[in-house]
Amino acid sequence: MRTKPPETGWETAPQPRVFSEMTSGPQPARLVTLRDGRQVTVRAGVGSDAAEIVQAFDRLSADSKRTRFMAHKKRLNPAALERALHPVPGRAFVFVATVPASDGIDIVGAAQYVRANDDDARVCEFAITVAEDWRGSGLAVHLLASLVRRSRRDGYGTMEGLVIAGNGPMLALARKLRFKVAPVPTDATLMRVKRQLVQEGRPRRAQMVHDASPS
Amino acid sequence: MPDSADSKPWLSHYPKGIPAQVDLGKYSSLKDLLTITCGRFGDLPAFESMGQVMTYRQLEVASRSFAAWLQKIALLQRGDRVALAMPNLLQYPVALFGVLRAGLVVVNTNPQYTPREFEHQLNDSGAKAIVVLENFASTLAEVVGSTSVRTVITTQVGDLLPPVRRWLTNAVVKHVKKLVPPWQMADTVAFNSVLATGRRNEFDDVALAHGDLAFLQYTGGTTGAAKGAMLSHGNMVANVLQVAAWTGRDLQDGVETLVIPLPLYHVFALTGALAFFSKGSRAVLIANPRDMRGFLKTLKSSHSTAIIGVNTLFRALLDAPGFAALDWSRLKLAVAGGMAVQQVVAQRWKDATGIPLVEGYGMTETAPVAIANPIDIAQWTGQIGLPLPSTEAAILDEDGRPVTVGGLGEIALRGPQVMQGYWQHPEETAAAFTTDGWLRTGDIGVMDEQGRFRITDRKKDMIVVSGFKVFPNEIEDVLALHAGVLEAAAIGVADERTGEAVKVLVVRRDARLTEAELLAHCRQHLTGYKVPRSVEFRNEALPKTAIGKVLRRALRDEDKAARDRLGNGAAA
Repeated sequence: MRTKPPETGWETAPQPRVFSEMTSGPQPARLVTLRDGRQVTVRAGVGSDAAEIVQAFDRLSADSKRTRFMAHKKRLNPAALERALHPVPGRAFVFVATVPASDGIDIVGAAQYVRANDDDARVCEFAITVAEDWRGSGLAVHLLASLVRRSRRDGYGTMEGLVIAGNGPMLALARKLRFKVAPVPTDATLMRVKRQLVQEGRPRRAQMVHDASPS
Repeated sequence: MPDSADSKPWLSHYPKGIPAQVDLGKYSSLKDLLTITCGRFGDLPAFESMGQVMTYRQLEVASRSFAAWLQKIALLQRGDRVALAMPNLLQYPVALFGVLRAGLVVVNTNPQYTPREFEHQLNDSGAKAIVVLENFASTLAEVVGSTSVRTVITTQVGDLLPPVRRWLTNAVVKHVKKLVPPWQMADTVAFNSVLATGRRNEFDDVALAHGDLAFLQYTGGTTGAAKGAMLSHGNMVANVLQVAAWTGRDLQDGVETLVIPLPLYHVFALTGALAFFSKGSRAVLIANPRDMRGFLKTLKSSHSTAIIGVNTLFRALLDAPGFAALDWSRLKLAVAGGMAVQQVVAQRWKDATGIPLVEGYGMTETAPVAIANPIDIAQWTGQIGLPLPSTEAAILDEDGRPVTVGGLGEIALRGPQVMQGYWQHPEETAAAFTTDGWLRTGDIGVMDEQGRFRITDRKKDMIVVSGFKVFPNEIEDVLALHAGVLEAAAIGVADERTGEAVKVLVVRRDARLTEAELLAHCRQHLTGYKVPRSVEFRNEALPKTAIGKVLRRALRDEDKAARDRLGNGAAA
């Protein structure tokens, strides 16, 4: 089956644009047709998504939860969820993928970045989760590609993440989106995936705005 | 790949007389191995347990009766799975060969499993029958109704002893030592009835070949529940021949005595036993090596020429009062596998017996031995050794390409002993192999110019407790079942006795949750070796990255630092 390239060919959703707090403009909602023909809406996560995110988390298998958090987690931390959905502009962002459901929507995937280190505004860490029955549809590619673009717009120079060394599908996804994959020297059970978002010496517009802002 | 110094540098460093290849055509199946070997060594002792000997001929007859019963009374069809859940008793080889020669598949099962573990393994394998020691029947009874098992054969410890000793042993186990909790299952059959009825039925010989499935050997994984590694007759025959070739120069046919304190349901002990079996050796089975007095008594009388064990066991033996008085003058070979051997244990063993501990390496998926130290080494090497005959080993980088000699990477294996895949898990199977057919071991290592391999780290998040693999995900899943647990991580910490031990770090949802309560919960769901040795409650969340991923290595480092501080304090 022919697949769409990950960073092009998105259809604009025929629905209201969803805005979130951000540093460099609104994030339009997009209706995405996946490889298997199913459609999802990809948009910024907003405060009213909290209950749906909790439900989506509860639907995940124990293995999926462990893959995301690297330990057993019985429920999402409410404070962390609050921070994710009401991010300090430029420090974090979350995309959600939604589908219509009888009670409104279901969230079937999410991708998030947060600034990796308080002292370094150029590096962000990412994580991505896709519901089990949406794996293999290309949704993860869309979510991560969106996150890459978004973090670049928000002024980051590097996006990185930790992946369990045996998580072949995630490593393949990272490679597909031009992340470099390397072992973590102190922990062979993990791999670090890393992508430069801008060329050295060419700061993005948003970053220049940050640098010029009064603190 | 042609054999050459470039592709297989280890070949030029094999001890003299060890072949580069083994002749896989020697046996067409394990059934073939059984019948040929029993024909060659007929009246020599094959297995011995609690002082009772079973000759090769007796084993051939008993296993034929067992096979006939499975075919004619239990009406099992070729390829059906039969679980064996018992410690090292004479009943094990009888059932093992009976199942195999009837064309059925053995599902080796730890008899000490909890109901949850029994249920998973029996259902996943689709076992239609099980042979279980009565001591563990009460656990099986809790879940057997919700499994695919339709035939339950029960056996008592003394079933294959002579009549008076049988009666006495079974009575003592049941009524004096009270080792048989009450149990109730409908329509079970006693092991000895199976043999008696089987004897009156004709056994239909089944043609078996290398490609036929012989074992589903369960092993955990970093995700999901335990999976069955599919080991074919060809895989097992290959590894038996490889191990036999590796030891062939130093061990003689029909004269060796191997002591087996490791359970035969563990593939390391199983293949080791079969390799010695093929040489007409006497295998002395130790049902309970924790009974150190009984174990030493058996060692004293068995005049063993070989012993197979794990580091924990050799250490326990060395520490046992009475060990120094044992006569090891006949010992030719002491093989250690399953876990890393500690240098101090290797040195003490050499000093005490004059024979080095020879360390081998492998995994359930390789039936299991793939790499081993030559058995003529003078001292413990700290390496895992050289690939066995007919085995390829390589160090691969992240993209599956071989690294240059001396470079670090994942140890990968190819050879006739490598499994067919994971039972009903095609995706897991695909992930385990590279596109070139290399099995990824999950161990990080290095190969030197002479083709010697050394392990430096582990890619799989796994804890090895006395040679048994424990996967943190299984422990964490069990902890998650407890309502008082909010967040949990299981990690491996160094342990002098068991190599590694399970430690869990728990953030409580219910502040009243105690360590004793949590451990009792774990014991309900996990076999003994998986139960955490220690619990640490944390009031704060576990250390995480910015995005919330738990840094497990940081947890291990914190634990190590705390231990080091305690150690220093004690020293001061």
